[in-house]
Amino acid sequence: MSYALIVGEVRRGIFEERNLDTIGISSLLGKETCLLIPDNAYTISEKQVDTIIKVKTDEEAFLNPLNLVGIVEQAMNTYGKPDFVLFTHSSFGMESAAYLSGSFELPLITDVSGYDKDTGAFYKSYYSDKIFGEFRCVGQAPYVLTVRSGSFKEFVAEKAASPKIEFIENVAVNTSRTFIEYVEEEKTEIDITKAEFLLSVGRGIGNKDEIPNYEELAGLLRAVLSGSRPVIDKMWLPKPRQVGTSGKTVKPKVYLAMGISGAFQHIAGMKDSDCIIAVNKDAGAPIFQYAHYGIVADMHKVRDKLKEMVKG
Amino acid sequence: MNILVFTKRVPATQEEELRILGDGKEVDLSKLPFKVNDWDNYAVEEAVRIAEKTGGTVTAISIGDAESDEVLRRAIAMGVKDGFLIEVEKVLQDPYARAMLAYNFLKKENIPFDTILTGVQSEDDQFASVGGILAALLKVPYSSMVIGIDNVDKDHLVLRRELEGGLQERTKVMLPCVLSIQSGINEPRYVSIMGVRKASKVERKVFKAKDYEESMSSLIEVVKWVYPPKKGGATMLSGELEEICKQILGIIKEKGVYQ
Amino acid sequence: MSLNPTRVLTCIQCGKCTGSCPEAGKTPFNIRMLIRKKQFQYAIEEGIPWYCTSCGACTLRCPRDVKPSEVIIDIRSALVEDGQIPLSLQKALENTFVQKNPWGLSRNKRGAWTEKLDFEIPHVSETKEKRLLFVCCIQAYDPRCMVIPANVAQILKRADFEFGILGEEEACCGNEIRRIGESGLFEELQEENITNFKEYGVKEIITLSPHCMNVFKKEYGDTGINVSHYTEVVWELIKNSALDIKGQYEKKVIYHDPCFLGKQNGIFDQPRNILSAINGLQLLEFSRSRETSLCCEGGGGRMFFETEIAYQRNADVRVLEAAERGADVITTACPFCLMNLDDPATEKGQVVKELSEILMEVL
Repeated sequence: MSYALIVGEVRRGIFEERNLDTIGISSLLGKETCLLIPDNAYTISEKQVDTIIKVKTDEEAFLNPLNLVGIVEQAMNTYGKPDFVLFTHSSFGMESAAYLSGSFELPLITDVSGYDKDTGAFYKSYYSDKIFGEFRCVGQAPYVLTVRSGSFKEFVAEKAASPKIEFIENVAVNTSRTFIEYVEEEKTEIDITKAEFLLSVGRGIGNKDEIPNYEELAGLLRAVLSGSRPVIDKMWLPKPRQVGTSGKTVKPKVYLAMGISGAFQHIAGMKDSDCIIAVNKDAGAPIFQYAHYGIVADMHKVRDKLKEMVKG
Repeated sequence: MNILVFTKRVPATQEEELRILGDGKEVDLSKLPFKVNDWDNYAVEEAVRIAEKTGGTVTAISIGDAESDEVLRRAIAMGVKDGFLIEVEKVLQDPYARAMLAYNFLKKENIPFDTILTGVQSEDDQFASVGGILAALLKVPYSSMVIGIDNVDKDHLVLRRELEGGLQERTKVMLPCVLSIQSGINEPRYVSIMGVRKASKVERKVFKAKDYEESMSSLIEVVKWVYPPKKGGATMLSGELEEICKQILGIIKEKGVYQ
Repeated sequence: MSLNPTRVLTCIQCGKCTGSCPEAGKTPFNIRMLIRKKQFQYAIEEGIPWYCTSCGACTLRCPRDVKPSEVIIDIRSALVEDGQIPLSLQKALENTFVQKNPWGLSRNKRGAWTEKLDFEIPHVSETKEKRLLFVCCIQAYDPRCMVIPANVAQILKRADFEFGILGEEEACCGNEIRRIGESGLFEELQEENITNFKEYGVKEIITLSPHCMNVFKKEYGDTGINVSHYTEVVWELIKNSALDIKGQYEKKVIYHDPCFLGKQNGIFDQPRNILSAINGLQLLEFSRSRETSLCCEGGGGRMFFETEIAYQRNADVRVLEAAERGADVITTACPFCLMNLDDPATEKGQVVKELSEILMEVL
């Protein structure tokens, strides 16, 4: 049977929105879609997939790559080898896809963000996202892909009927890696995901000394200050202020990015903002491809001028 | 504790403009400076810290060309005991091929390990997969995106993985294992040039990749290289600073977030 | 340039060093105390050695030739070898190693400042006089400073004064690198630059930054190359009427002596002479000028070191005094001084211009 096996990304009872991209690429590839998820109550849109395979094991066990490999193997033994095994490019997907590839000698391409129907090649980004490689799988199917969020959700097509439900039981649970608990980050009063206007600073800020100046500007503009990963890694801003895949995803009305180059992990955290204004002194910064308005200038000069104009 | 850490020499592309040559045949890396992969730097630092705490030794391994010796010397300057270079003649793009090469090498040379560290991904190919594939080949447990190792015991580790949205997962992993290390796990020590020079006195063994190529083949291949599609792009504001800032204020007022 | 390890023992703790130190009093940095601690081999508190701005005042005033600024470099070198240095300084050093400039910007773009000019500047190897204009990292990359090499290039061209550049082959001079204590990296930069100088037969170097001039003149060894700051050259050109200052500049201009130009290398008059040669320009002096000029706190790695404490910067003090004295413009001949004075000046509604910027308005 020609089908794509989508390993659903779930976390604490939520069926992640990123799964739309794996469902989308499956549609684009013209494959029948089987969604593999733990047997829990997840909110999944009706009629997006052909089959849902519910695995009788708890969520944490499912998310453990050591167990997941066995689950996929069971699926393959029961339903035949799929053409593709699809994961989201996430902390779960990246880990499990690699482990699966190594377990069964399966060709693996990660962070796929495009597909060329004519050549059958997949686009994968390289070199700080400045180059794409067009890759083809030459080994034996199934081919394993992890898919970049936002890249294929537009291709999700409604199916004619509700999905068939199948079950997988007797899942072996490996004890060499075990889940202990989730660790929440400390709660602070600032929740950047609730802000309407974010002023976000990146590595272009150059110096911790500049942070108070941006705090001042944020205060004057009634914006909340946030930052990209390099600023948080250096501890110039606390972790709850981080925008990006390993921080928070935000959708404010206005996202004013200053000194942020636009690495994809950051873009993924803010690309759905209503209005993105980017200030960067590098005219070639990738962020200008995602922003609505761009200014090539020194961020400190723009900050000072804005402060002057707002105060005066 | 025997720790292996993989480290890679990569081109510095953050500030550079890249050119594609020969109608998509290759990317021009000739004028780029090279450096150690940022994630691997964190991994080496973490390996050295664990060894310092538990009295173990660290061996650094690099798969690359002869120039990759640079990153081995750097690792030694940071406190790693040995450096092994698996010298390849051509760049292996496929992470499966690289993992297979590492696997064959470890098996053939009988290299003992309690834990193997890699960086989450490399700055050039961004595959983020060699660690996971290698773990599966070795049939040992794997944990990626490790943002903290809280406890090192004789037969297991307790660590934290970085998930999405600031959430972390505390996990117990039995030894031997493979981990991929996330940036920000520690603050890597500075490596001075004199330190790297001193490290040159420690022998770095060179092994030829072709001696470890059984059942190693590429399962994926590059058809060609292209520039990313320009997504329409931003409306660029231009003019004097005063004029630009006026426009910015105008836009944010229009959006209703500022009066 | 190794320091005699017993030098600290000759210190009599007179305190002239701390008395002239730009960091004394308002920061925890006390150079006299540091020397004392070195005498007894006591531990030095973390973070303290990084405050020094390398202004050199202590070394100039010490009656016992202790050379405290060199002692600081020694202390820092030990910290560098230990790997225990502030993260921002680490980044600056790593960037310099990879891209040959502390900001880690692409080496391939080091010649981009020439694009704004309407004439080509030859590579120094293609010139007859083998006179090299050494641009400097911050002036090659920082938008505020990029005008300086462009200005000076135009000024020299107008005077028919032949010169060439190294373009992308130019590497950081290493003055700050050495002062941060990374002697290994300094040696690498020195070697790379000297190799280029030799290969292209460079006979003279004109620097735009006093920091570059300092290190080429005093710390690169015997290269046989004549090194000068551009203000020395421009003053000669004005004296010989190769440059004709036609315009008027009806402004009160106060001149700030950069430490590496003034107190460390004795170049006080040439910049003043240039300014005095401009019609209508009224030259003002700070209360602390020439040898006692107040350090802007840009040297010694301070452009990259974030202090834990907040305190009133010397640049702030300078700008306030300039306003008090009724200056219209603050001018200087060093890119670090320019950058450090620019920020507080903008906040307080003052104007800072590099000397070449004033010259360009009157030539």
